[in-house]
Amino acid sequence: MTAKPTETAAAPSGSQAPSSDELVKVERLHKAFGDHQVLKGIDLEVRSGEVVVLLGPSGSGKSTLLRCINFLEEPQKGLIKVGGTEVICGSRGRDYRKAVMAVRMRCGMVFQDFNLYPHMSVTENVIESPIHVAGVPRRVAREKAAALLEQVGLSDRANYFPSQLSGGQKQRVAIARALAMEPELMLFDEPTSALDPELIGDVLMVMKDLAASGMTMIVVTHEMGFARDVADRAILMDDGVFLEQGTPEQLFGSPQHERSKTFLRHIIKDNGSAPEPVTRDDEGRVV
Amino acid sequence: MKYLKPSGVALLLLAATVLCMALPALATAAGDVPPSIVYAAPYKDMPAGWGGQTVIVTFKPALHAGKLDSVVPGKSNLWINGKEYPKAVKALSEASYGSSLQFSGFPAVPQGETRFRVVLVTASGQSASKAWVFASTGKSGVSLIDFGLMREWFGFIVKGAPIAIYVAVGSSVLAIVFGLLGALGRLSKTMSYREAWKKYHSWRYMGEYSLRLVPYWLATLYTSLFRGTPLLLQIYVVYYAVPAFIDLMRTHWALWNHVPYPSAIASGIVALSLNYGGYVTEVFRGGILAVPRGQHEAAWALGMKNRLALRRVVLPQAFRVVTPTLGNYFISMIKDTSLLSVIAVPEILKRAQLVGGRFGNFMSPLLVAAAIYWVLTIFFSFWQMKLERRLERDRKAN
Repeated sequence: MTAKPTETAAAPSGSQAPSSDELVKVERLHKAFGDHQVLKGIDLEVRSGEVVVLLGPSGSGKSTLLRCINFLEEPQKGLIKVGGTEVICGSRGRDYRKAVMAVRMRCGMVFQDFNLYPHMSVTENVIESPIHVAGVPRRVAREKAAALLEQVGLSDRANYFPSQLSGGQKQRVAIARALAMEPELMLFDEPTSALDPELIGDVLMVMKDLAASGMTMIVVTHEMGFARDVADRAILMDDGVFLEQGTPEQLFGSPQHERSKTFLRHIIKDNGSAPEPVTRDDEGRVV
Repeated sequence: MKYLKPSGVALLLLAATVLCMALPALATAAGDVPPSIVYAAPYKDMPAGWGGQTVIVTFKPALHAGKLDSVVPGKSNLWINGKEYPKAVKALSEASYGSSLQFSGFPAVPQGETRFRVVLVTASGQSASKAWVFASTGKSGVSLIDFGLMREWFGFIVKGAPIAIYVAVGSSVLAIVFGLLGALGRLSKTMSYREAWKKYHSWRYMGEYSLRLVPYWLATLYTSLFRGTPLLLQIYVVYYAVPAFIDLMRTHWALWNHVPYPSAIASGIVALSLNYGGYVTEVFRGGILAVPRGQHEAAWALGMKNRLALRRVVLPQAFRVVTPTLGNYFISMIKDTSLLSVIAVPEILKRAQLVGGRFGNFMSPLLVAAAIYWVLTIFFSFWQMKLERRLERDRKAN
């Protein structure tokens, strides 16, 4: 990934020296929808190259946390720092918006339901933002897109439209599309939850390769196998706070809290399926 | 979805004003056009017969340097069977939608084959002539449906069709522009005042937020006003109010002397497009709202700002949603161009009324007009159906 110049906006530059390779820092993050507190003061640091998996029951705030990191949800209070860009949440104005855009440029995001642009072909989906946001020449963007599609195993689908692809293929295009912006951090919001069980494997394979290549990733998922094999750290969230965190072995092997035990027992009993009852109950084999 | 800023609105209003003023100027900008004779009576099978007393020449008015170039009765001449009648009484009526010169006061012409020739000469010396032979068939009288009249005048009435289509297409394009702006304005309200207060608890922010809602209120006023008053009334207001406004301005600023009065067609296009724009606003609003929120989020997550996300991601999808509805509005618009007959736009209905008035038989030309409208709508419905099928096929393929 190309290094981006350090910029600090809407905030006094960090008073305490950041740890050597810290990429993401979230401090005292609060988010409420109306009167409902979803995040209650989250603190999170992610090192460069680290893969963090967020686990937790439905409504525990893990997706919201992920979406707050690139400001698809606006947190009310707290501080978010990605790369060299620091944003104090709850402020507004030009500097704030600039900083938000800068954070988004540093993050790639993969959604549960893909959100590919249906009116564009696969290649057009991938080159859209590099051309119109990053100002990359079309020819360069196309070459880059071809390489990325190769990387996710979809070279032969370059001219297809999203509607002509299976769910797993769509999700892999979405990953390629996010990578095309050369992000420093990849956010995965339940990337396999909307997929048929037999299509999950390909997507997880791409994610594993990505992790192996040193990409920093924050993943919301219910794929315990993926968490065990790939994650450097697993975090269990409940009711807007971090309940427990540690290496996957620690967390899955000897959870400390009663709630963690209940949750993990549920997941393991269901053979790794999602705790949410909606559409995903027989989703899954553990890869 | 904050797409329109107040500064942008000011700019757009300015552009719209300039456009509205440029339109009539464009419509009247033309060089020299000689008079052209549309028809001359007596003609074969005249339903009322010919009394042998008058000759009427109907023509399209001439233009000289873009201005009406009046026919001079004194220079214009009539020949009957080779004999010139310079002393004939000439009555001239000239109007943008049809002019005529009536010759009378010559000795009665005997029934039978008669040769006619007329020459029209304008003030600037442009001329037109026509020679024809008339033979009375002896038929006379007016019937309810006069096929002879219909046949004879079909060509005249159908010449209104291109005008109707021109007006409908022009109004549609403008209506889409107005509708798009209206929809963006309507969608620029992201939260209520109560929510805004809860979010920041700041009077200064409430002030800023009010300013940001200006496009919303403008768009709301626009749709409410133009959907809440009759189209016919709007046509009258635009047609009479704009020249009155220009007059008023001229009394204050000499510069306004260079601003021409809008032509009837330009006024009509403005009125129709403003009215339809009010409805199209709601169509676009629905279309934009029909694009899933995930599409906005994907665009934002990929670094796009609101404006770019709108242009590249949201609007292309919204256009697909609204195309069939816009097609319906276009077909409806073709029929509503007939309302412009009240401000003397020479479209289909106005021409039918002219013919009806001249011969005291309204039924026949109105039936011709109805047939023309019907054929037009069938034609455009057919294309709309094809377009819809294609969109449907694309949607299924997608």
